[in-house]
Amino acid sequence: MSVEIEQFSDTVVSYLDDDGYPLSLSTKVSPSGDGYIVEWPSYLKAPKRLTMLFNHITPISTGGYTDRRYIMMKGVAEQKDNQLFFKPQKLYGWDEKRKPFFQYCEERVPQARAYLTELSRSVGRPVKPRLPMWQLLFRATRFPFLTATVAPVLIGVGSAAYLGFFDPLLFLLTLVGASLIHLGLNMTNDYFDTKLGADTANITPTPFSGGSRIILYGLMTPRQVASIATLFYALGIAIGIYLAVLRGLIPILSIMTAGVLISVAYTAPPVKLAYRGLGEIAVGIGFGPIIVLGSHYVQAQTFSVQALLASIPIGVLILLILYVNEIPDAPYDAAAGKRTLITKLNERQVIPLYKLLLAASYAVVVLSVLLGFAPPTVLLALLTIPMAYKTVKAVRQTYGNTYLMIPALASNIQVATFTGMLHASGFFLWAVLMHFIG
Amino acid sequence: MENSLVAALSVVTPSGHVSTHPMLPLYSRERKKLYLTSSVLFSKKVEYIKKNPKVGVLFSGRQFIKTPAYAVVHVKGDAKVYEDNLHEGWQWLVDLWRKKEPYIESFIKQRVALPLFWERIVIEITPREILVWDEGDVSSEPRMWRG
Repeated sequence: MSVEIEQFSDTVVSYLDDDGYPLSLSTKVSPSGDGYIVEWPSYLKAPKRLTMLFNHITPISTGGYTDRRYIMMKGVAEQKDNQLFFKPQKLYGWDEKRKPFFQYCEERVPQARAYLTELSRSVGRPVKPRLPMWQLLFRATRFPFLTATVAPVLIGVGSAAYLGFFDPLLFLLTLVGASLIHLGLNMTNDYFDTKLGADTANITPTPFSGGSRIILYGLMTPRQVASIATLFYALGIAIGIYLAVLRGLIPILSIMTAGVLISVAYTAPPVKLAYRGLGEIAVGIGFGPIIVLGSHYVQAQTFSVQALLASIPIGVLILLILYVNEIPDAPYDAAAGKRTLITKLNERQVIPLYKLLLAASYAVVVLSVLLGFAPPTVLLALLTIPMAYKTVKAVRQTYGNTYLMIPALASNIQVATFTGMLHASGFFLWAVLMHFIG
Repeated sequence: MENSLVAALSVVTPSGHVSTHPMLPLYSRERKKLYLTSSVLFSKKVEYIKKNPKVGVLFSGRQFIKTPAYAVVHVKGDAKVYEDNLHEGWQWLVDLWRKKEPYIESFIKQRVALPLFWERIVIEITPREILVWDEGDVSSEPRMWRG
């Protein structure tokens, strides 16, 4: 139990005084064998049991503090040759440089749940943590991830506009319908990841990985999450059926059914695609060909090679969002039996595959232009190559350090979103140019 | 107490040991009471206080205390726990909190990021005995006040 005591700016020793109250004093200690010699004032009776707190903060000149660390030791004390010798038996502490505050908090969630359960029992009513409704829904649905639906819908609609088909109302209905199914997917994913233990095992979640944690924190019950997910699916499917009746029953229903089934089967038993190393492929197909071809069909009432080729880069890029987000989750996913692609590869394999897939998505954009299946304006998508290059570098440099990886995770999402948006813009831009030119 | 950035709260565990935790102390001149708040995430000490309200709080560490003159102060007191409104019941303390952590409100605004951290219990301590070691010199007997 050796402690580098010079790392702490204050040492507090405490014991139970004769009146039943704890008494503490700040004193000096020095290591000695398997314990510490404590400078003990002669006017105080030497205690038999002692608690020692090594504490440190660095005050900030503008107010507040940083660099928090402490160690609490409990043990026995013995007077030897006019000196008090303390032998620690239990040790406990925290150093924010070694364990980030978010992780420290996450490890204490079971304590919070136990406390709230006991409090609920003692007051005779449920005591739950709360968030304002909009913040709760924002967190529960992981709303910002909707950009992963917006980009492929725009590409599908853009590729139809390139072929001369565009109806703004149908575009809006497609966007809302696909987004509702995506929100249903996010909540279903949380429901099953909590139930199957993957989110519970994860003690280093980030804004981009580890799930929304609303069930784990007690902010919503599993039943509430399942009900809202069902509502999102029902509304999304209703819009899909309306579009199918309006634009093409069998093709649109087939595409939508495939999309909904993939989204549910992503984490739901017995299929659990994400737990079998098939989650990445499922996401790539769902956010690539399924959304792009579906959105394209609603506009053009036909499938096309142009749309199919355009669906590949965005599918791969959104697959890569999941792929990179799985890096910080990997140890916990493996512990919970969630065999994601990352859990099956090592760092030397993960980065080259990441680079290869990124390069492939840009190559498909170029190829589609060379083959005459896309206008030259879609080459705008290549503008994100420098950003992608920096992102790969950042992922490689921070690999395995969850909290340092957060900017790299954010940058990876931006690469997918911006590339998708520019790709779609290329189609729309060409359609507008053609409209005015001739 | 109003100028100390950190204090050591000692509570008695059911096994009779003392458990000591660094905490941000908030002293209300108006109420003449010392307040601490604990997130439900770190609520073990609150469970102990509910079983045994006798607590001790030590203000020490020269660099933690922004005053020209330094003294180490120990407060023995009786703690009362307020847990009827974990979501907002501690927010009246933000005025005192801000004086020690000026950026605290920007964290509170982002409570969606750490929702359980901002479900907080208020610990109110009524001082019973105060010991003061001038200049932090514990080799001499402290001055004492009894309530």
